Amino acid sequence: MKHKISFTINGDVKEIEIEPNKTLLKMLREDLDLTGTKEGCGAGECGACTVLVDNKPVNSCLMLAVEVDGKEILTIEGISDGTNLDPIQESFLKHNAIQCGYCTPGMVMSAKALLNRNSHPTEEDVKEALSGNLCRCTGYQRIVDAVLDSAKKGGKK
Amino acid sequence: MLKYVGKSEKRVDGIKKVTGYVRYTDDLKLSGMLYARIKKSPYPHAKILKIDTSKAEKLSGVKVVITGKDVPIRVGLYLEDKTFLAIDKVRFIGEPVAAVAAESEEIAEEAVSLIEVDYEELSAVFSPLDGIKPDAPIIHEDLGSYKHASIILPQSGTNISNHYKIRKGDIEKGFKEADFVFENEFYVPHIQHSAIENHCAIAQADPEGKITVWAGCQSPYAVRRTLAVAFDMPLNKIRVISPAIGGGFGAKAGTTLEGIVIPLAQKANYRPVKLSFSREDVFINTFVRQGMYARIKTGVTKDGKIIAEENKFYWDGGAYTEYGVNIARAGGYASTGPYDIPNVKADSICVYTNHPVGGPYRGFGMSEIHFAIEQNLDIVAYKIGMDPAEFRKKNALKDGSSTVTGQILENVGLIQCLDKVTEDIEWDKREKKVSKIKYRGKGIACMYKAPSMPNNVGSSAIVKINEDGTVNLLVTAMDLGQGSDTVLTQIAAEVLTVPISRISIMTGDTDCTPYEWQTVASRTTYCCGNSVKRAAEDAKNQMLRLASLKFGISEEGLELKDEQIISKIYPDKKVKIADLAMGLTMPDGSGIHGPIIGRGAFIPPDVKDTDKETGQGDKPVAYWTFGVQAAEVEVDIETGEVKVLKIAAAYDAGKAINPELVCAQIEGGIVQGLGSALLEEMKIKEGKVLNPSFVDYKIPTAGDVPEIRISIIEIPEPTGPWGARGIAEPCMVPTAPAIANAVFDAIGCRINSLPITAEKVLKAIKDKMK
Amino acid sequence: MKEFEYLKPDTIEETISILSQHGEKAQILNGGTDLIVGMRDKIIQPEYLVDIKAIPQLNRIIYSKQDGLNIGSTVTLNEISDSKVVQTHYPILAEACKTVGSYQVRNRATLVGNICNASPAADTAPPLLVLDAKVNIIGPTGEKIIPINQFFTGVKKNILKKGEIVNSVTVPLIKDKWTGVYIKQSRRKDVDLATVGVAVVCVRDEIRIALGAVAPIPVRIFKTEELLKGKLIDELLLEKAGESAITEVSPISDVRSSKEYRVEIVKVLIRRAILQVKRRYSA
Repeated sequence: MKHKISFTINGDVKEIEIEPNKTLLKMLREDLDLTGTKEGCGAGECGACTVLVDNKPVNSCLMLAVEVDGKEILTIEGISDGTNLDPIQESFLKHNAIQCGYCTPGMVMSAKALLNRNSHPTEEDVKEALSGNLCRCTGYQRIVDAVLDSAKKGGKK
Repeated sequence: MLKYVGKSEKRVDGIKKVTGYVRYTDDLKLSGMLYARIKKSPYPHAKILKIDTSKAEKLSGVKVVITGKDVPIRVGLYLEDKTFLAIDKVRFIGEPVAAVAAESEEIAEEAVSLIEVDYEELSAVFSPLDGIKPDAPIIHEDLGSYKHASIILPQSGTNISNHYKIRKGDIEKGFKEADFVFENEFYVPHIQHSAIENHCAIAQADPEGKITVWAGCQSPYAVRRTLAVAFDMPLNKIRVISPAIGGGFGAKAGTTLEGIVIPLAQKANYRPVKLSFSREDVFINTFVRQGMYARIKTGVTKDGKIIAEENKFYWDGGAYTEYGVNIARAGGYASTGPYDIPNVKADSICVYTNHPVGGPYRGFGMSEIHFAIEQNLDIVAYKIGMDPAEFRKKNALKDGSSTVTGQILENVGLIQCLDKVTEDIEWDKREKKVSKIKYRGKGIACMYKAPSMPNNVGSSAIVKINEDGTVNLLVTAMDLGQGSDTVLTQIAAEVLTVPISRISIMTGDTDCTPYEWQTVASRTTYCCGNSVKRAAEDAKNQMLRLASLKFGISEEGLELKDEQIISKIYPDKKVKIADLAMGLTMPDGSGIHGPIIGRGAFIPPDVKDTDKETGQGDKPVAYWTFGVQAAEVEVDIETGEVKVLKIAAAYDAGKAINPELVCAQIEGGIVQGLGSALLEEMKIKEGKVLNPSFVDYKIPTAGDVPEIRISIIEIPEPTGPWGARGIAEPCMVPTAPAIANAVFDAIGCRINSLPITAEKVLKAIKDKMK
Repeated sequence: MKEFEYLKPDTIEETISILSQHGEKAQILNGGTDLIVGMRDKIIQPEYLVDIKAIPQLNRIIYSKQDGLNIGSTVTLNEISDSKVVQTHYPILAEACKTVGSYQVRNRATLVGNICNASPAADTAPPLLVLDAKVNIIGPTGEKIIPINQFFTGVKKNILKKGEIVNSVTVPLIKDKWTGVYIKQSRRKDVDLATVGVAVVCVRDEIRIALGAVAPIPVRIFKTEELLKGKLIDELLLEKAGESAITEVSPISDVRSSKEYRVEIVKVLIRRAILQVKRRYSA
């Protein structure tokens, strides 16, 4: 039996009827065509599915879609406006913190959540905040540097 | 003065990746798409007596059900030993025996559970050392009839799918003349690439009988060819598109699940069929790195010259070794590591076991053998009282040295790399005991690698000049994250003098982009780079010719500069690339030549076969890449935990086309190497993978990263574009042995197997204390 | 995931009624970080999923100087570790909560969920054990308070009966000065399950110790605590304590670690934890 839910996604209000046995991740990717959020393990270990729900980073593979009723969701598609990138994204590009790109949306969202709650993180803080996001390509240091650099600029370009 | 090559240009695909815009295969949603699931074998080795798919076929929403008899043709890259679905027999737990396409994933899953299979269990083999025993159960009875590349030597009637030999010099004499002879053994388990993107493939058949396959594969042309063989189809009727790849490392080389979706698609009434692997599927049903047992016997003189070495490598190839056979071969022709040894006997043996399928993993055998070789060297150095770095330097390959195959080398940067690394790690400074429980040590390891590929495979590139002077560059070299899109664009930019922003690269479509053997082997900058250079030069030459006609000046008097052909002497005689792109318009208004299409193709020159019995050959590979890494570790002697504090790395890249991207590769390789050194192991018990998830298969996180210091040496490889060599795989190879050697330096204990877990270290410490 | 009916009651009474009615066929959806994985792997296949996150009383952290700390069952691990009152008054608990999973997981996972899941390696369990926490249960027969000691009944089993849910966990006040530490041994530095978990609290001449991942349930090791009580802590006594601790647990070999290694680590970590709390206590 489908449930009618209503939530904000990347600033837009959305109403949808959704089966309860569908994860938030699947709803984002299949019903809303927001494929920037990825599945890497389906078990909350890799962080590729990280999105912000009410400003908190969560593994969307571990949430049911019905649980976002009344909530605000922010995905990678929502952090730039189509013309300007978010400063964190600029920083990733500047520091060459991207290789295959698959972990990148999750990393950026975790980073964004970190800087929202702690505008002056230490390197340790950054590593801890990103420890739930696995990357196999970069070796992480450039990602950490990109986040620290973005913080230094106060989230401004 | 180079303008683009040698510069750290920004990635051309960065923005679309950082915005989440790039669509990987699982992101594609095609109209009318069906979803596939596979039925897996619960046994490591069993006969298939009967498969009953009737209940699955009747389930509402199920469109297609297939079994092995629908895909009967054997395929394989170097040895045709595999089918996409099992036929008659299963050879590993998890092997697909049937597949379903249905309206939803849930229905497909339910259908799979309704398929009934009767098996007769057979005795199984779980180690290559058991697999080679005369009474071992035979896993591939028909091995003798399998087609294979000439460089592969399978032994019919056994579980040995390849036995590569090196017989150089006189090994008996060498050991007799040695002052000391040492024998050591090492082991590496199966590990997995763990690219963050899971494998996925979509296939669709059209009414003309053409099949399109979308898969994030490293090698669209290899996939096309394998599928054509498997389905007995002409190549022009198969189109393979690789949309984007979320990490490769060899996991997506060759073919994995592409062959399962095609027979489903062929019966799906033109609807596309998607097969998406879960992380567990990836662990069990895609390539793993082969396990390996190594025995090394070293004969050394008292002043530290290695004069004889005998290497035996037994590879745990898993259930199918269509790819693994060449890894065993590579292990053979590199068997001693980068050292000049006059007498060498090596046997590199690929053995079938009832384990998951072994295949290419970054390093292609080099990481596995160097773990053994570099620890062995350290043990020998220690025993004869010589500093490990000095010992390596004394025996290192250099210009004029001969390799195990008898190749005489030039342009060897190994010693420069050694010197740089010992400097960066402060090799002579040791701070051993930091506290009562924390001991520190430093270790070093060298490596070399050549691209492992058939001698005669090629790359190609097409350059199209557009009417406005911008460029479309077509290749099928795939950007797995390593940055090939960017580097190849830089190469085109350099030759054509067109800025990078005015060049668009397209890859990964066998209908449109020209042939590329595979994106593996760290061959892309070298092979495809050369092709792009030639294609750009071809376009340039056409433009020079047209300009020569236009101005009446010989081609030697013209040059391509700043997107114009301009006379070297008369600067007013110039024409923009844009104005030649569609051909030349003559003064009388007629046009000649037509659009400029630059074409380039490349096969590494003069790479030849080696002797089947002795493995000797004077140029068995295109080039060698040399590198060194050193590690500083801290060991907690009460818990055995090893913390890597610092890694220093030096590689001879020949010419770093994009230095930042080279460094980024090295950083990633080091961390991946660290994972294999300390954390990673597929725990397989009687053929069953006990840890097929990230809960219990741990890869490094941001918190595990050490300080990293990188140096790039540039001794040009004469046949590479501007001297470039590949470093993509080399950068992972020496990390594990460097760490193992550092652990020994810290606590005096050798850990001869990977991973170097806290458990093993603590046990070694306690055993030593007894 | 198999299909199920999703219910979201906004009172405890309604929740109890649903659970009583459906028994084994119903599961509580709290943080979901264990449950959804289990459902995805088809190990758990409930017909009814009861989401308790709409019940306001369950979402509170209350601290009072008389009654101590009360944590409602839907309070997340991050909320606990970020809470000023927990950081100030029960730092060992804040510390332990931070070791569970990743930051993303801790935004959903709950302390009560962690103990109800009852993994032998649950990270919140050893600290709750050394703090003598109490579990407030509410069910069809009314309310009851169970000492945390009795809450775990076996591997992944807890004492809850049909229709019962955990309302909150109470961590009593320790009137005297005390220090505590939770040390977690794992294969990887970040985001891993415990191969051994050790929680130690030192209050006056009493040392309390609880161990995780070395027995079917997380345990207080009272015999070893008795050995240490009132005595001067020296190396010999610490060694005896380690040996004694081993006799009170039953570690096994599993995919994460061997039994032998766990035995060694228990001894090492107990020694380190005791020295650490003693050092902090004297400071």
